[in-house]
Amino acid sequence: MPREKFEHDLHRLQDEVLELGAMAERAITESVQVLKERDVARARAIMEADKHINEKRYAIENETLTLIATQQPMAGDLRTLAAILEIASELERMADYAKGIANIAVMIAAEPLVKPLVDVPRMAAKACDMLHRSLEAFIRQDVEAARAIPKEDTEVDRLYEQIYRELVTYIMADPRAIEQANKLTWVAHNLERVADRVGNICERIVFSITGHGEELDTPPALPAN
Amino acid sequence: MTGTPAPATGIQVQDLSVRYGARVALQGVSMDIEPRRITALIGPSGCGKSTFLRCINRMNDTIPGASAEGSVRIDGADVYAPGTDVVKLRMKVGMVFQRPNPFPQSIFDNVAFGPRVLGTHRGGSLARVVEHSLRAADLWEEVKDSLRQDALSLSLGQQQRLCIARAVAVAPEVILMDEPCSALDPIATLRVEELMRGLTEKYTIIIVTHNMQQAARVSDRTGFFWLNEDKAGILAEYGATEQIFTSPRDRRTEDYITGRFG
Repeated sequence: MPREKFEHDLHRLQDEVLELGAMAERAITESVQVLKERDVARARAIMEADKHINEKRYAIENETLTLIATQQPMAGDLRTLAAILEIASELERMADYAKGIANIAVMIAAEPLVKPLVDVPRMAAKACDMLHRSLEAFIRQDVEAARAIPKEDTEVDRLYEQIYRELVTYIMADPRAIEQANKLTWVAHNLERVADRVGNICERIVFSITGHGEELDTPPALPAN
Repeated sequence: MTGTPAPATGIQVQDLSVRYGARVALQGVSMDIEPRRITALIGPSGCGKSTFLRCINRMNDTIPGASAEGSVRIDGADVYAPGTDVVKLRMKVGMVFQRPNPFPQSIFDNVAFGPRVLGTHRGGSLARVVEHSLRAADLWEEVKDSLRQDALSLSLGQQQRLCIARAVAVAPEVILMDEPCSALDPIATLRVEELMRGLTEKYTIIIVTHNMQQAARVSDRTGFFWLNEDKAGILAEYGATEQIFTSPRDRRTEDYITGRFG
């Protein structure tokens, strides 16, 4: 097969991206878990483990640059490698959001939760599911799947609105809840940003397949009243 | 009428087909070559790129059994029209070959040869034409104090630049280059590529190259040649260089430039 070595290297690089995606997903899921379970030790472990995610991101970048320098990729190959650079960067930012959530878990561990966490885990699950499928679409070069996934961001935005509104009512009922409520809003905001970044990843995937940039805007969320 | 810029020479190729005896080397090629730009022709060996190039200045006429159909218009005039002055054509459309081929004469005489034959310059103006041409070919600084030296004593890279100077000396409008750098080392290659950019101020350049990275580096437009089912050379895709190398429209182009065919 022509360019056997290059094909092999490209596949290995794609596997690395999947691995980085899995690490980011795990970090997000676990950060929300430790928030719920008030597990400080595990929360700190998640924050500590973020450096492995950063290392992996840079390893992927270096390997991509090496392939670009040594293999003179053109056309589809070039676009795929450019997409890998962007995707690795997005995944690393998502893991940073998870680290932020774990940090909040540590900050509020000593206090009772002002509300049971129901929608936050739902947001996390939805965002992680979107992420997982977007990376699958990348490996399968499935442009239709990549175009469709960002539309699901509406659901995540709706959950965010819900959480925000609920927290406001808790603050109004008891002003002492304001600090924790702010931090929980921040958690929800981080998860909402994860879903947004999945949208960016999908735009990159569409570009790498078609060679044309497309804005995959999510339909605007319906106004609250 | 002073200050009128020279007309920019574009080349319109319409349905060009070339046979060598019974064999169809090129089938129905149509292309508009933009004036004062670099157009690169890429594709596997035997797909008709050099044949195409040699049609522009009718060098194919010198090959026994070669015949051409279709039209090649330069400044609106079809070079295959009966009564075309082929000698004048070959001065208007200069050519640089794969292996540098300076005459076994001095550097000065190599460049002065064309103008002398034409009788267009003598004495002082001849020396000026030689200097101007050597400057255009980025060779003047290196040879200005040794113009009487034998051209064959120059390095290959210098010899190739001398051949470019020789082509420039007869005031062409088009310069054809058939793999001009394949005999040169990477540094000499980059020097020729640099000077090609400067040449587009005055000349339209068409380059055949096997080096895809070179085509990507230097050219404004790229034509990709391929073989059809009858094993005749065709133009499979033609477009802006950035588009050809980042998002080619034709599957065959993509396979070729990513090295996936074969």
